Formats: sequence, structure tokens, C-alpha cells
Amino acid sequence: MKRSIRTIAGAVGASAFGLAFAPVLAFASEEGAEEGFDGIGLLLPKLTEFIPMLIGFLVLWFVLAKFAWPPFIGMIDKRATTIRESLERAETAKVESERILEENRLQLEETRKQAAQIIADARVTGEAVRAEVIAQAQEDARLLVEKARAAIETEKKTAIAQLQSSVADLSVSVVGKVIGQDFTDADHRRLIERYLVEAGNLDAN
Amino acid sequence: MPIDRTLTRRASIIYAETLLGATSGDDSAFEVSGQLEQVLATVRGSGELRGVLADRTIPAERRSELVREVFAGFNAALLEVLVVMVERGDISLLPRVNEAYIAAAEEALGSVIIDVTTVIALDDGLRDSIKKKYSAQFGKEVLLREHVDPSLVGGIVLSTHGRRIDASVVSQLERARTVLATVSSGGDR
Repeated sequence: MKRSIRTIAGAVGASAFGLAFAPVLAFASEEGAEEGFDGIGLLLPKLTEFIPMLIGFLVLWFVLAKFAWPPFIGMIDKRATTIRESLERAETAKVESERILEENRLQLEETRKQAAQIIADARVTGEAVRAEVIAQAQEDARLLVEKARAAIETEKKTAIAQLQSSVADLSVSVVGKVIGQDFTDADHRRLIERYLVEAGNLDAN
Repeated sequence: MPIDRTLTRRASIIYAETLLGATSGDDSAFEVSGQLEQVLATVRGSGELRGVLADRTIPAERRSELVREVFAGFNAALLEVLVVMVERGDISLLPRVNEAYIAAAEEALGSVIIDVTTVIALDDGLRDSIKKKYSAQFGKEVLLREHVDPSLVGGIVLSTHGRRIDASVVSQLERARTVLATVSSGGDR
């Protein structure tokens, strides 16, 4: 930037230098007008006016170059430095942001992977627990049914045994009463004779 | 302990032989065997009587009087032997005395004594049938000690020398009841 300004100042100086020699041609043209070429003479300054103007211009150029341009150039340089630093900071911030963004992206990706793994693990664990709970419930139900069947079977056998015993007692009681009441002495004697025939040996030897 | 058993056996035999010697005649010996059986049944059937007769804290005279009162009308020799047993505290030997007496009486009589229990009293025909069957088995004359027990319902029970044939209706009904109560129905398969 500073070099550009200097270049501009140089260009302005070169133009002023050019203008300083240009009146020579003007004077020549003016002389020409006086000699009959009035058109161009209207455009060219008069030498008497041109010299003071040149001197004033040079003085002005010198004063400006000496006093006005340096602060202006300093301000421009400072502004350029500020802008450059700002751009550098912005660039640095951008790089840092991109780094943080990349870091966050990686962390997010890692977190997503971990979350997916946790979900997968939880799903596997949940499935295993579910299978275990179902198996345990089925086993409990089977044992319950077996116990119930065993209890029913026991109760059934007990009831049948009691019924059999009651029927046996009743039958024997009825038969005993029938024999006791309906048998005559003759019936008893016939029964004794029959049993006597069937009776075994009393001799132990 | 074997010595005690030997002494007990010898004491029982002495009581039995004393009783047999005190009786006169075959009929009396057989009759006394029946009365001795009744005494044994009575003492077995009454725990109170058995306890009093064996209680030495009660004066021997009181126990002797009790024996004479309970078994009044029995053979005099049998009563005397019972009194001696009670006074000496040997009433617990009564079952062994009974066995020894029957053995001694059978030997003295040359017969076999069989206890016969029925629901009705035996008539001559049944007696002859029983005697004929078992005299052939033993090769001796058979003497029957008859008992009537309605609880048999029917049939006959014979016993002698520790052997017993139970051909009563009540025992057969009991066996039938046991079979009916224990046999599997087979309907639960």
C-alpha cells in the first residue's frame, strides 16, 4: 500500500514535470497564434501564468509530501496493518473453528458410534434377559403344573382308597349281618362241616 | 435270663403236675383243663382282676378270698392251686401252667385236647366228624373243649399245641375286606 502511494506521488510529480515543459510548446503555439494560429493559443497557458502556478504547485506538492502525506500514509499503513491483522486473526479463527468443527465432528461421530454400540449391547442384553425371564417363567409354570398334577393324583388315590375301604367295610358288614341273621343252625352246621373238610392239619409233626 | 426262664418253666410244670395229681379220674382231668382255660380267659380279659391278684401290697388272704369268690363252683383242687399261685405272687405264670397242664393231662390221658370254637353248640355229628378227622392225624383219642362265640359269624376255629386253624366267617370276611380295600381299581390309566 505504501509503495502504491509512493507510486501515485511519483506519477503526480512526473505529470507536473511534464506540464512544466508543456508551455514551451504552448508558447510556440501562442507565437504561432500571434502569427496567425489563434485556436490552439486559447488552450495553452501563458508562460507568465504558468511559472508561478508551477512554483505554487511544486511548493504545494512539497508541503503535502512533507507534512500531509506522511500522516496519511501512516494512517493508511496502520489501517492496512489492522486489516491485515484482522484478516490474519480471522484466518486463524477460521482455521481454529474448522479444527474445532472437525474435532466436534469426530467427537460426534465417536459419540454416535458409542451410542450405537450401547444400544446394540443393550438390545443384546435385553434379549438375553428376556429369553432368561421367559425360560424361567416357563420352568416355573411347568413345575407348578407338575405339582398340581401330583397333588391331584395323590388326592385322587387317597379318595379312591377311602372309597374302596368304605365299600369294603360296608360290603363285609352287610355280608356279616346277612349271614348272622339269615343263617339257621342247620346252615351253620353245613358251613362248619364244609370248612372242616377244607381245614388243614393240626399236627405240627 | 435263661435261668429265670428255666425256673419259670419248672415252676409252671410243678403247678400243673400238682393240679393234675390232685384231680381224680380222666373226666375230672379233662374237666379241669376246661375250667383252667376259663380262668385264664377271665384273668386275661380283666386287667383290674389281674392287677389286684398280682398286687403284693394287698394282703394274701384278701386276694385268696377274691379268687374263691370269682371262681366259685370250679374244681376244688384247681381253686387251691390258684390260691397258692396268688399267695406266692405267681399268677403271671397262669398261661404257662395252662400249657403245662394240657400237656401233662394229654400224656396222662393218652389223648389230644383240641379247643373248638363255633357260633352254635356242636351236636354229636359234628363232634364225631372233628374227632374222626383229627384222631387220624394225631393217632390218639381226641378230646374237645367246646366254646361258643357268636362273633365268629359262622364257621369254626380249632387250636391245639400252639397251632390254630381259623375257618371262621369273620376271618374270611376280614381277608375279603383287606383285598377289596387294597386292590387297584385299574381305572386311572
